[in-house]
Amino acid sequence: MSNVILFNLTTVLFGVASALYLAALYAKNEKISLVGTWVCVLAAVVSTAALGVRWYESYQMGIGRIPVTNLYESLVFFAWSVNLFYLVVEWKYANRTFGAFVMPIAFFTMVFAVYNDSSIQPLVPALQSYWLHAHVITCFVGYAGFAVSAGAAFMYLLKSKQETAKINEGVVGLLPPGKTLDDLIYRAIIWGFPCLTAGIITGAAWANYAWGTYWSWDPKETWSLIVWLVYAAFLHARVTRGWYGKRAAILSITGFATTVFCYLGVNLVLSGLHSYGG
Amino acid sequence: MDTISEVRITEAVPIAPAKRAPSPIAQVWNFFISVKLAIFTLIILAIASIFGTIVEQNQPPEKYHQIYEDWAFALMNRINLFDMYHSWWFLLLLVLFTTNLTCCTIDRFPKMLRVVRNPRTKLDGNLEKTLSLSDRWKKKGTLSDWAAKYSWTLTTAFAKPKVTEEGDVVHLYAETGVASRFGVYVTHLSIVIIFIGAILGNIRGFKSYVNIPEGEEASHLDARGGKEHINLPFSVRNNRFWVETYPNGQPKKYASDLSVIENGREVLRKTITVNDPLQHKGIWFYQSSYGQAGDVTAKIAVRRPDGSPAGTLSLRPGEPIKIDGYGTIRALNATENYLGKGPALLVVVEKPAKPTENFWLLQQFPEQDRQRNDGLIFSFGGLGSKMYTGLQVAKDPGVNVVWLGCILMVIGISMAFFLSHQRVWVRLAQGQDGRVEVVLAGAASRNRIAFEKKFEKILTDVKAVGQ
Repeated sequence: MSNVILFNLTTVLFGVASALYLAALYAKNEKISLVGTWVCVLAAVVSTAALGVRWYESYQMGIGRIPVTNLYESLVFFAWSVNLFYLVVEWKYANRTFGAFVMPIAFFTMVFAVYNDSSIQPLVPALQSYWLHAHVITCFVGYAGFAVSAGAAFMYLLKSKQETAKINEGVVGLLPPGKTLDDLIYRAIIWGFPCLTAGIITGAAWANYAWGTYWSWDPKETWSLIVWLVYAAFLHARVTRGWYGKRAAILSITGFATTVFCYLGVNLVLSGLHSYGG
Repeated sequence: MDTISEVRITEAVPIAPAKRAPSPIAQVWNFFISVKLAIFTLIILAIASIFGTIVEQNQPPEKYHQIYEDWAFALMNRINLFDMYHSWWFLLLLVLFTTNLTCCTIDRFPKMLRVVRNPRTKLDGNLEKTLSLSDRWKKKGTLSDWAAKYSWTLTTAFAKPKVTEEGDVVHLYAETGVASRFGVYVTHLSIVIIFIGAILGNIRGFKSYVNIPEGEEASHLDARGGKEHINLPFSVRNNRFWVETYPNGQPKKYASDLSVIENGREVLRKTITVNDPLQHKGIWFYQSSYGQAGDVTAKIAVRRPDGSPAGTLSLRPGEPIKIDGYGTIRALNATENYLGKGPALLVVVEKPAKPTENFWLLQQFPEQDRQRNDGLIFSFGGLGSKMYTGLQVAKDPGVNVVWLGCILMVIGISMAFFLSHQRVWVRLAQGQDGRVEVVLAGAASRNRIAFEKKFEKILTDVKAVGQ
């Protein structure tokens, strides 16, 4: 299975990139983080190729389908989304320190994936639908946005301590100004939120087409609604009540915690209709 | 809501605080239009929803008794925790949520519309103070000349400005992305529409379930746990059900060949699979489960000695079937391999006033029974069992309303987040030194960092206009 070899290589690259970004922070050396960026780009290429190869291999096995249908595949797809989302952010904000906080999320996701069954299994009848593509892609881009936001929120909490003490030193001193981080917390969410909304809607449309009911309060559905409600609260709090800074950061991290539970916790702890984790 | 708060900050005329305490009606109204309530309701809904995922919903009471102590069961049952999402208190939360966002819309939408319809086209001193992006300079020349030049530059660099002349002052005002202001209302409306669709579906629609054995039809359904009976204006026949598997044995496809029968005539025929339902007259049939309908039966083909067919029989184990003018036949035993000659069936034939006959019928040798020299020849067609298909049946006249709401929601959220109401003002005034005093200012309803860059560009373009 060459796709698995490529994914393993991706894992290593994510690990190297995380290490480089962290080393750059400690050594206060921009050049190291520049190498980190190129490793991320290489990882993006390798992981995209791996997804393509896996897709192709599934056709060769006579069960051709998009590679996002079990826990292993969803984890690697999540890591892939985080990496791409991160590269866009790095480019937009022209700051490489985010990498030390976001790339480890991608790396540990891949490490977790490696411990799961990586074989290509055929699709059960319930998943054979074109809605699968739209549903999974929108959800995961949304999740990636929330991951980036939470990474920025974590950085903000570190940074704000120094800013209130009016010092600017050490590793934290290298982080972008609190204002920039605060902006990123918000902006990653306003990308993630519409994607999650579209993900919930495509999921409802699919459920209606497969089972005749667009909403059945299944645990996964309910948790996706909980995530949606938390971010809706975040957006209202920020826009109309001026929740900036620390409170916004804490709400973003809370939102990401519910996202992780919706994504993994529901499958590992609760029961339901979603396939991976079973 | 972002829109209005910003409009309020920058444009609302300050109102002197009311001296008297607000009336009770105003207090109630203020309660329902507050964003604080919205945040509170969102968080409470989120927390409440968690309970329903921890406590499994709609299970039989025996199951709950196994898990919970009696007192806990009584308490949880009392607060409808076992069917939480349909409990009065959860519905009340949803009503509160809907009332809140409806009131917010009623309160803010007209104000926003007024602001959008009558934008502040004049950059006066008060407005200027509230705008963080602004610059000023002086130019030699005439007021009308510069006004015309800047008007043209603004058109190319940003948007066509509205020109207001006021004595020896000229105001230019240009805006883009006004739609951004409507995004939040479209989103709120979409939620109300989705709820209306859901209510419509609950009142006018039904959900049901039916098992149809192969070869049989159904037109009668039970809904709401058997409390309601529905007679369809047609019937559905299950012609065949089958399962396809992947080479590794995993199921690949569950399929039912269905016919819709109306007034004894087949009007529609479709093979449905999971993810590919059948629809007739607004009623949908979804492939949902399957199973064996009854026991295993042995299929027997009956012919006359001249070879002409005389029918087929399905024998259940041990149950005799009567053949008119002949006698009875029943199956006693079946084997996968009889004396190395493949699958076979042991049958007993009893005729009136004749000795009972026991003999094996071999599936691979259909002509073998001729050696009995009897009036009928039997041949064994193999063992089979009738399958039934389990169909989810649903009618939901509200579903298209729900989809309309969903589409509006995506549009509304995109409008609110990806558009920005950007405004640029220019004020030109004849200065006392004979030069023209120019002030350029701008504001954006969101994504101010991006607008700052855009504003810099506009500023550069406008300043670069030559004499």
